Amino acid sequence: MVERVFVIGLDSAPPELLFNEFKNELPNIKKLLERSIYGPMKSCIPAITIPAWMVMATGKTPGELGLYGFRHRYNGSYNEMWIANSKKVTEPTIWDYLGMDGRKSILVGVPPSYPPRKINGWLVSCFITPDSSTEYTYPSELKQNIESLVGDYLFDVVFRKNDRDSLIEELEDMTKKRFEVIRYLMSEKEWDYFHFVEIGLDRVHHAFWKYFDEEHHLYEKDNSYKNVIRDYYKLLDEEIGMTLDFLDEETAIALVSDHGVKRMKGAFAVNQWLIEEDYLKINNPEVLNRGKQIGLADLDINWKKTIAWAWGGYYSRIFLNVEGREPEGVIKPRDYEAVRDEIADVIKSIKSPEGKKWNTEVFYPENIYPVAIGDRPDMMVYFDNLYWRAAGTVGHPFNYLPENDTGPDDAVHSEYGVFSLYIPEMEGEKVLESTIYDFAPTILKLFDIEVPMKGRSLI
Amino acid sequence: MSEKPERKYTTVSIPVQLYEKIKERIEGTGFTSVSDYVTYVLREVLASLEEEEKEEVFSKEEEEKVKERLRALGYLD
Repeated sequence: MVERVFVIGLDSAPPELLFNEFKNELPNIKKLLERSIYGPMKSCIPAITIPAWMVMATGKTPGELGLYGFRHRYNGSYNEMWIANSKKVTEPTIWDYLGMDGRKSILVGVPPSYPPRKINGWLVSCFITPDSSTEYTYPSELKQNIESLVGDYLFDVVFRKNDRDSLIEELEDMTKKRFEVIRYLMSEKEWDYFHFVEIGLDRVHHAFWKYFDEEHHLYEKDNSYKNVIRDYYKLLDEEIGMTLDFLDEETAIALVSDHGVKRMKGAFAVNQWLIEEDYLKINNPEVLNRGKQIGLADLDINWKKTIAWAWGGYYSRIFLNVEGREPEGVIKPRDYEAVRDEIADVIKSIKSPEGKKWNTEVFYPENIYPVAIGDRPDMMVYFDNLYWRAAGTVGHPFNYLPENDTGPDDAVHSEYGVFSLYIPEMEGEKVLESTIYDFAPTILKLFDIEVPMKGRSLI
Repeated sequence: MSEKPERKYTTVSIPVQLYEKIKERIEGTGFTSVSDYVTYVLREVLASLEEEEKEEVFSKEEEEKVKERLRALGYLD
């Protein structure tokens, strides 16, 4: 058992960069790893920020949480959706278990944590927060302390296509403020468990990957943004170093990410493809050839003849139009499995623009989770092992887009994030592979709490 | 013979310390047992949670702000 646990969450940190390529330039992280157990950590399906951080915190699958991404449909609707938020997390988290034990936690930026919920401790919400004019702390008075410390607190940055210089500044500003708040909380408040997530790393990956990765199809030699990602890692390392100085010898230190990252090969226009395959029927096909992209919500869909439609993102959710479930459903429940298998087979046969085989995976929620509550998609698709993101928009000249349809984005998610854990008095390093489901039981074990979970304790 | 509606009960465990604390607290109140008090408190908590869950998290304007950002980040299309 340890006295306290401090968790460093770096959204989308991949093992390839953190443990290998950049390690020698990150003295503080390197020092930490040299006395930790660490290795790649397999994320959940889908390998997306929401639900992944809550999978980590609860030990439950996305199906049990009923969280499959950032947005979900309202029951019985095609287009009305709700955005994931803290109130949708109903399974107990690590800090709930600790709270029951009378232990105090501090959380900063763990998604989704807006609106701020009551915990036994202190909380600053995450990038889902609309802006700093809202209530974003628990208790609400904490907001004042934060603002007198750093001024306007930043939750996220916004990508703007032609203004990458100001994005770099904003990222730095946001991250420095966050770490200042973290150091303030860890030194001024009483806590047993501290968990923060820095979202900036994910943003810097997405915005600057093509400037950094020589294998990226849009990589330009000698570009001026080549070192932005590297420099951001160095900034993180410096801030982490300053932060770790505040900890005593009795504190265990974990460093984790929710998923990894890799170069994007392109975006696949999945709804446009569904239209071509006659699974999705629209009343205004002329919009497809206007040279202008439009979203699903602006299409005149003939639901009475539509079999399937999709949502884009780093992975694709495909929904079937089922009689009795959707407002104008057409697939008879008895035909459901056959239709789904048929579409899954066709999806798996989609080839690269050069006609090469793709490593596409199609998951059925009920096969990968013990239960799948809420707005579960009928199929979850990883196009070419996530190298190709899914574009939900239509009106593109081809189904294969060299760039993302919804703004500049050069990276996609990969299935392996990172895990490392230093336990006081531990000597030397040890490499091990883990899954995201092992995190909660491991942390709880450090506090002598055992709860039966899908994952196993790594210690 | 009149039949009483059947009420089913089950046992849950709480720490002894907490039990003692509650026992002290309900002394001289209308609660005749710790179980009664615990049932009352849990019903209240559940009702307020259910109430809270029904509340809108984002105003229309806030939701647009969040969606706009998620769209720019590539999460929505």
